[in-house]
Amino acid sequence: MLHVNHLRKKFAGKDALKDVSFSVERGEIHGLLGHNGAGKSTTLGIILGMVAADSGEVTIDGISVQKSPRKALRKVGAIFESPAFYDYMSGWQNLRVLVGLSGPFDKKAAAQVVERVGLTQRIHSKVGAYSHGMRQRLALAQALLPEPEILLLDEPTDGLDPEGIKWFRDFILDLRKERGMTVLFNSHLLSEVEQMCDKVSIIQAGELVYQGAVNDLRDDRTGVRIEAHPAETLDAVITHHGGERGQDGRCLFPEGTRIQQIVTELVQAGAEVSEVTPVRRSLEDVYLEHSSLTQ
Amino acid sequence: MFLTQLFGELRKLFARKRTYIGYIVFLFFEILVLILWLQVGRQQFAELAERNFIPVEILSSSLTATYWMMVASMFLLGSIYFALVAGDIVAKESEDGNMRLVLSRPVSRLRILLLKYLAVLIYTVTFVFFVGVTGYGMAVMAMGSGGGLFVWNPDMFILTIYPDQSDAFRRLFMGACLMGVSMCVVSSLGFFFSCFKMKPAAASVMALSVFFIDFVLQNIPFLASFKDAFITFRMANWVYVLQEEIPWDRIIESYAILFGLNISLFVLGWMSFQSRDFKT
Repeated sequence: MLHVNHLRKKFAGKDALKDVSFSVERGEIHGLLGHNGAGKSTTLGIILGMVAADSGEVTIDGISVQKSPRKALRKVGAIFESPAFYDYMSGWQNLRVLVGLSGPFDKKAAAQVVERVGLTQRIHSKVGAYSHGMRQRLALAQALLPEPEILLLDEPTDGLDPEGIKWFRDFILDLRKERGMTVLFNSHLLSEVEQMCDKVSIIQAGELVYQGAVNDLRDDRTGVRIEAHPAETLDAVITHHGGERGQDGRCLFPEGTRIQQIVTELVQAGAEVSEVTPVRRSLEDVYLEHSSLTQ
Repeated sequence: MFLTQLFGELRKLFARKRTYIGYIVFLFFEILVLILWLQVGRQQFAELAERNFIPVEILSSSLTATYWMMVASMFLLGSIYFALVAGDIVAKESEDGNMRLVLSRPVSRLRILLLKYLAVLIYTVTFVFFVGVTGYGMAVMAMGSGGGLFVWNPDMFILTIYPDQSDAFRRLFMGACLMGVSMCVVSSLGFFFSCFKMKPAAASVMALSVFFIDFVLQNIPFLASFKDAFITFRMANWVYVLQEEIPWDRIIESYAILFGLNISLFVLGWMSFQSRDFKT
């Protein structure tokens, strides 16, 4: 659905993107993860045709954004962090103006989307009086009109309260379920990416340092926190099973390792086992690993 | 489709309170000019009229008062509001971040700018007519609807009268139309600077600076022989339609130059806007 091919971009002679490539399949929720300033927003800007790439190309459903931006963007809805609407106009008027740029404004469809995002009661109030959460709902409404095939979300949950974040997450997941919506989700909130995305691309200092399935990141190795005495016995058993022990006391073993077997061996070797806690390797761990590797 | 989008752009423009500042200020200014015309202007021009065998009654006509209100206010005061609105039209949306939402839509940058530029031009021309219509309305309330038109413009060497009211009305209407077109140059300047990466206020100040520098240079006596080269002089050519024998060749030449200037400013502004990166 979305193919980002070898993007390069410099701002004032400094590399913002260095040969970034990734793909998002139809119906996939893809996380674009990175620190502030890593190049996520520049990538999104190029996908939307707002930023001109020095080289490389973006295609949406086979249509080049660089060659036919209008045609390519017909399939796209976008939401930005802190969406800036015309505060002096009502939510409905904002929708009319923005959606009117894409084609005829369908009142019935707009009313349905407004109802769906839960803004019916306030849609005729001035946007200046909206809370951040309401603005984000309006942003979602404008992005969904007229029906896009792919949603580009640029840190959409920033500044939302936990309830708002959950609502937003559920909404996006429902959209995918109902319409098979493709989503590119740009965020530095690891937990959000972990909970929503199927695949993730990690960008660090303008370079793509990882791309793969979120589940692959989490489950490729077995993690367990073990406290046993003496430590030498514990180290010997860990080494025997091909594992490694981190400074935080957490041990990582190759996929398929049976924890019961390790505990049995420790007991048989005379060690006193005081704690065995399974630890899931989170996306944050992977992200930080890749970040530190790059740095 | 284009008209719907243009209507949306106009909706945005006219939904903002600051768009109306100019209208309100002008209403007060027109009242002030009308009072000054009634109290001071008429008496001062009475002698001039008598010397030139012009019936003094024509000075008390509503159309003459309207002419003075428009001449006194539009060129200098009006330019401020046109520069403010036009300077805002692109730069404000870029600064506030609205432009990102607009650019994420399947619409070309040229079309976005064309919509904005047309909206600014419509604002400019309708504003001039607003001043004319409200000025005439106030003058009618103050002195009745009768009478012709007395025109005196020493800079352009025009001294003429139109005793017939319908003829006077037609001439003043034509003058207002051309004045509206002239003022579009100020709006084009504001729009041009607004397309660059700068604050809205900076765009307005730049436009006004160019306009006033041109105006000051045009009025320097030793540059009098080069008047034709100045934009503000060409803009003032609207007044020739109030001359008894209208010099159409001169008017056409001036407005062709102004038209070319407006197009050039739009194209240059578009080129700048097209090459800009709008980073999220």
